[in-house]
Order: sequence, then structure tokens, then C-alpha cells
Amino acid sequence: MAQDFTEISGLARGKGRPRVAETAAPSLVDLLNLIRADDPTTRHELERKSDLGRAVVSDRLTMLADLGLIDESELGTATGGRAPRLVRLAAKQGRVLVATLDQSALGVGVADLSGKLLTEHHEAFELTAPPQALAERLITLLRWSLDRQASPAGLWGISLSVPGTVPGSAGDFLTRTPAVLPAWEGFSLVEMLTRSFGAPVWMRSSVDTMTMGELHGGAGQGLGSMLFIKVGRRIGAGIVSEGRLFRGAQGATGLIGALPVHLGDRTGTLDALAGSDMILREGRLAAETGRSAFLADHLRRGGEITAIDVAQAAQMGDAACVDILTTSGRLIGQVVATLANTLNPEVIVLSGAIMQTNDIILAAVRETVYGASHPLVTRDLRIIRSQMGSSAGLVGAARVGAELLFAPSFLKDWVMQGSPLKHPDFTAFRAELDVAPPPPPLSPPPSRGAL
Amino acid sequence: MTISGLGPHGERAAPPERVTLLPEDKAAAKARAFRVAVVLHTLESDWARQQLSGIVGVLGDCGTVVTHVIDCGFSPTEQVKALDGLMAQKPDAVISLPVANQEVALAHARLAEAGIKLILLDNAPTGLLPGTHYGTLVSADNFGLGLIAAEGLSPHLPKGAQVGLLGYTADFFATNEREIAFSQWMQTRRPDVTIRQEGFTRIEDAAPKTEALLAAHPDLAGLFVVWDTPALKSAEVLLRQKRPIPMATVDLGEQAAIGLAQGAPFAVIAAQQPYLQGVAAAQTTVLTLLGRLTPAWIALPGIVVTRENVVESFQRIWRTPAPQSVLKAVGLIS
Repeated sequence: MAQDFTEISGLARGKGRPRVAETAAPSLVDLLNLIRADDPTTRHELERKSDLGRAVVSDRLTMLADLGLIDESELGTATGGRAPRLVRLAAKQGRVLVATLDQSALGVGVADLSGKLLTEHHEAFELTAPPQALAERLITLLRWSLDRQASPAGLWGISLSVPGTVPGSAGDFLTRTPAVLPAWEGFSLVEMLTRSFGAPVWMRSSVDTMTMGELHGGAGQGLGSMLFIKVGRRIGAGIVSEGRLFRGAQGATGLIGALPVHLGDRTGTLDALAGSDMILREGRLAAETGRSAFLADHLRRGGEITAIDVAQAAQMGDAACVDILTTSGRLIGQVVATLANTLNPEVIVLSGAIMQTNDIILAAVRETVYGASHPLVTRDLRIIRSQMGSSAGLVGAARVGAELLFAPSFLKDWVMQGSPLKHPDFTAFRAELDVAPPPPPLSPPPSRGAL
Repeated sequence: MTISGLGPHGERAAPPERVTLLPEDKAAAKARAFRVAVVLHTLESDWARQQLSGIVGVLGDCGTVVTHVIDCGFSPTEQVKALDGLMAQKPDAVISLPVANQEVALAHARLAEAGIKLILLDNAPTGLLPGTHYGTLVSADNFGLGLIAAEGLSPHLPKGAQVGLLGYTADFFATNEREIAFSQWMQTRRPDVTIRQEGFTRIEDAAPKTEALLAAHPDLAGLFVVWDTPALKSAEVLLRQKRPIPMATVDLGEQAAIGLAQGAPFAVIAAQQPYLQGVAAAQTTVLTLLGRLTPAWIALPGIVVTRENVVESFQRIWRTPAPQSVLKAVGLIS
């Protein structure tokens, strides 16, 4: 069991001497993050990189091991003498729950403390449903996922990917629910999750998390610069520079869907003229007028047309649907070309449910960007479709959760207790929730393990 | 075609028509004489035999040789050993049904690194990506199968009933989806029903776990088991304990079809189309080997099988006449 060093430090303290917590915490934070950055590493490497003496490193590693935060059970490869002990983050000790809330789907998963996604599930869910229904479904699925991926130290955090900008760039856990969507005004999702799971909650926009997912688990691995474009009802961009996600002053970067574009004599936002609402509207029109034989047949058989149907029809060669998607792709390409000329990325990744089902938009974006960019920008530029689908959001949310759990500003206040659940701000928040009036009741909870 | 579920990465399903082979595809495949290995969770079930039949037949039409058919016996260790062993044989492609999640993920990824094309059946381990590690996942609409089971069992459950759910403890995409869908349907359409859950790790555990479920919840009024082979073990327990409660399961195996025809213990079966899934997997394999684009997830819809349509469903799914015992039980022969 992990040891809590705050009490020991209090007892051992001599008069006038600082607490062990006060002196040890900064070096523990530094060492733990060095281990996370270079997992696995060795004591020798840590001594070299931390500028701490051998005795201090040894003492701090013993403390981290006693706290259950690192694992030194494995031996590395010998290079002459004895094989060195490998030092790893004890990633399997705790869990991070992750979820993606998209316009028409809900995804949940469980990650370890290194941010590695262990399991995932996606299901259709309309975000226009009442927020209470969303909270119920989300809590049910998260509880089921966590039951199947239990760990010794239990749940340490919840990281959510949501379809809108989350204001603020600080790494603090949330104590209230930001009004990401109009229907979320007064909706206490964060409070419900904290009450249900007893763990801190973080939230990032889906473009941010998907960009992080692509950077760490997809096409962006090992790259310094990347432009990530999510195409859905809204069109957004994630920017990676020098290997890090750029979040701007308020976390409101990449809102390219709000930019004006021109289509013939029409002017509108990129969202309105190239997003999935346009694809759906034009697809329905093509079905009703008979321009699209594929969709007209679908309609005649009583099927309801979705933007995905239009994209699939285009992929199967329906000329009218190919035109619709090509129009969308060219408009997106115009805006992306501007960004590409500004940022000179190594790769541009296009993502979203529409992108997954066809290659037409990809082809149109490529044609437009290559035609409208400086030769130096496009010389080695790759424009590709994401292979990760909605997993990018979950992988990225897991990464965000792990990074924020171990962010020095947060870690320094919990490392001596061995668990973020004992962070003083978090215990204060939980106490506050305990005395606050309870939210409106959810449906009776299902039996343990049931969904 | 209506597909209720989403793919392992949230993908929307593509229909099997997307991988139809044209005469020129078959001719091109024949000219290149591909070699393919098949790695399955078991070769003992009707489902596995039908799936294999679909795969082998189509590959034969395309001049593609099936060099190995490996039975992993549901064991992740055996599967890792089998996949690593196949690397030395250098087949052009492997069609594999991953029997677990994290335990077998790296072994599958190693195939891709070795330049061997991978087509997955039923399950995609977390972390493996279409286009990078594998070409396509071919499966039933497992979420839809869970919905069919719940909807079919519901009329047999009295108000306020407790229903048992016997799930599979392995982290497996197909059974997870069925379990989640069954529970979701009950919670939204039958909120009066309480689900009592138990899980089995090995098929042999299905009977003791059913006994445990019945002992803990003596008022159980229905039971859903996530596929037919363990469901038959549960059915034996119910028979032994003289507890005639209605059951629902997935896959129309021969014994399950007999049970359904006799009106007990199965009230409904949500059936996959394993032969057609095998056909789609083989077509996808050929197109992948020819360098054509294939969708990330191809899903085939489930079939609702009740006593009323069990005979024609059996013929449709298994491509053989229904057993005499089924025909007798529904009164079509004496």
C-alpha cells in the first residue's frame, strides 16, 4: 500500500527545520516528470539529468517507490557490469477515465497513468438530447468501463473531450461545468462526475484532444509540426508547433469554421458552406430532385438521409454526391492553404466521420492546397486522412489527463500523499460538494456492472 | 441495411457491397497467386466453420491458397505464438480473430511491421489502427445483436422483473458491444427491469456462473448470454434446476435452433451471418492484397430469429437444410 509522507514528515521534523514535504516535493516532482519523459530510465540517467546527487536521487526514488508512484522491479541491459535497474512510472497503479462527446456519438475509454488507452467503446448518441440523459449515459458507460479495468490505486482523474472551445488555458481541474454548448447553461456535469467517481475532471475541446491523439498515437508521432483539421458540423483546426499543441491565450485556437468563404455569389462561414450540415442539405435536395440516383433510391425505401450516407454514396461513385463533397473539400482547402502557408507544417491530417467514409474531400483539399501554396511549403508536405477515427479524441483525452495529473503545479501539492485524490484543493472541492444541495436525481442506478 | 453500432474507433459501418470483387480483380489475384493464413479463436463452433467456409471458398475462386488454419483455443498465449510462428512463413496476408485485447495487440502489430497484410474479424485490439496495422475489420453489427436480444426477450419479462446477463469477462469488442446494447435497450425501454450481471472467463465457467447468478437472484425471470455455446451450458443448468425461464442469445448454432424450435429455453436468437462475414473478409483480403482502398469497418446486420422463422433463418444463415429435429419441433414434418 502507498505510504503517505506528510504525516511522517510532520513527526520527524525538528524545531525550525523545514518539513520533508517542503524540501522533497520539488525534487520528487522533477524526478517523476523526468521518469515520465524518458520511461524507462535508470538511476544513473536520472542523476545526470536532474543535477541531483546520487544520495538524493536514491532517497527520492525510495520515497517515490514507497508512495507507489514508480516501479523498479525490472532489469535493463548490462553494458559491461551489472545490469541496471530500470525506473518506470507505475502506470498500472491508477486509471484515467476518458470520454468524447461528439454531435452524434459518445465514446468512452480507460487509460493508464502514462496516458495509454487500454479499452474503448463508441456508440451513437445525439448531443441534442437533454443534458440529464447525456450525464446518465456517460456515467453508466464510464462506470462499466472502469469495473472492467480495475487497478490497485483506482481512479485518479477524468478527462473529457467536448465539441466546443473550453475557455482558459490553465491546467486546474474543473470545479464547475463550462457552458460549452447552449444547453449546458446551468448543467452540472462536472459536479455530477466528481460526486459519482470521486476524481478530478478536466475538459478540452475535441479539436484539442484529437490533435493530441494524432500527435501521440497517430500520423503526428515524432513530428515537430502538424496541422489537424476536423470536419463535422463545425470545422476546426489543431496546431502543433515544436512538438506541442498550441492553445493560444484562452484555448480558442483554430476556429477556422467561423471564417468567411465565397461560393459563387454566396458568402458564408466555412462551417455553413462546407460543414456536414451543408452536405446533408445538398444531399437531401439531390435525392428529392433525383439528381442522386443512389440517395433517391435510399429515400424511396424509407431511409432517412444523413451526411454519412451522402459521403458513402460519393465513395460508391454517385456523381451528384461527388460534386457536393468536392465543393466542400475545395472550400476547406482554401482556408487550409492559408494556414499551411502561415505555419509550414510537415503533415496536414484531415479527420471526422465524413472524412472516414470517403476520399473525395481529401482529394479536393489536396488539389486546392497544392495549387495555392508556396512551393517550399508543399515540397515535403503530406496531406492525409486520419486513421484513428474517434479514437484520436480518446487517446488525446488520455494524454491530456496524464499530463495534467503530473503537471508540476498540480503534482507538487499531492506527490507527498501519493494520490491526486488527496490534493488539498480537490479534498476542499469534494467537501464543498458534500454540503452543496444535491443535483436533480438521476434515474435509479443500475446494479453494479450493468449498463 | 441498418447498422446500430459504431466501429472500434467510432467508425460508421460500410456495407459488404463496398468490397464486391469484379472479374478483373479475380483475374489479377489469380495471376499473383497469393498465400493467406487464417487464425481463429476456435474451429469447434458452427460459427467458426461457416466463417471459414466463406473465407476459403472466395479465396479459392481468386486462386489464393490458404496455407494455414490455426485454432487458438481462445488462448491469447496460443494466438501470440501462432502469429509469431506465421511471421517465418511469410504469408501475403493473415485473417485473424484477435481473442483478447492488450495481450494480443503487439503480436498483431508485428505482422504489419513485417509487411504482412492483416484483416481482422470481430475484434480490433485497442491501439491497432486501420490503414496502419490492419486493413479492415469485418464483423457483425454486434451492438445491433444485443438490441435484438433485448427487444425479443422483453415481451417474456413481467413488469418489475429481474433479468440475468451472463457476459464474457475478456475485453473483446464483439461481446462488449452486445452486452452494452442489451443493457442500454433495457434501461431505456424497460426501466422497470433490473439487470443482474455475472461474467465467465472460459466456456466451462458458464454453467457455474449461471448457478451463482440463480442462487444470488432466485427471482430471475429471464437470461441473456452473449453467445450460443455458453448459453447452451446455461440452458443445461436451467433444465437441471427445473427453472424454465426464457433466454436470449446470439448465434443460431444447431442446438440453439433446436431449443428455439421447441419453444424453450430460447425465446429469441440474434443471429450473425458467419458465412457472408467470411465471404466479405475474403473479398476484403483480396482487394487489400491488390492495393485497393477498403473501408475501416464492414458490418453485416443481425437477423431476428424466433420460433416462427427458425427454419428459413437456419437455411439462410447456414446454407444447409434445417435439422430434422427442428422441422419436427415446428410441425413441418411428422
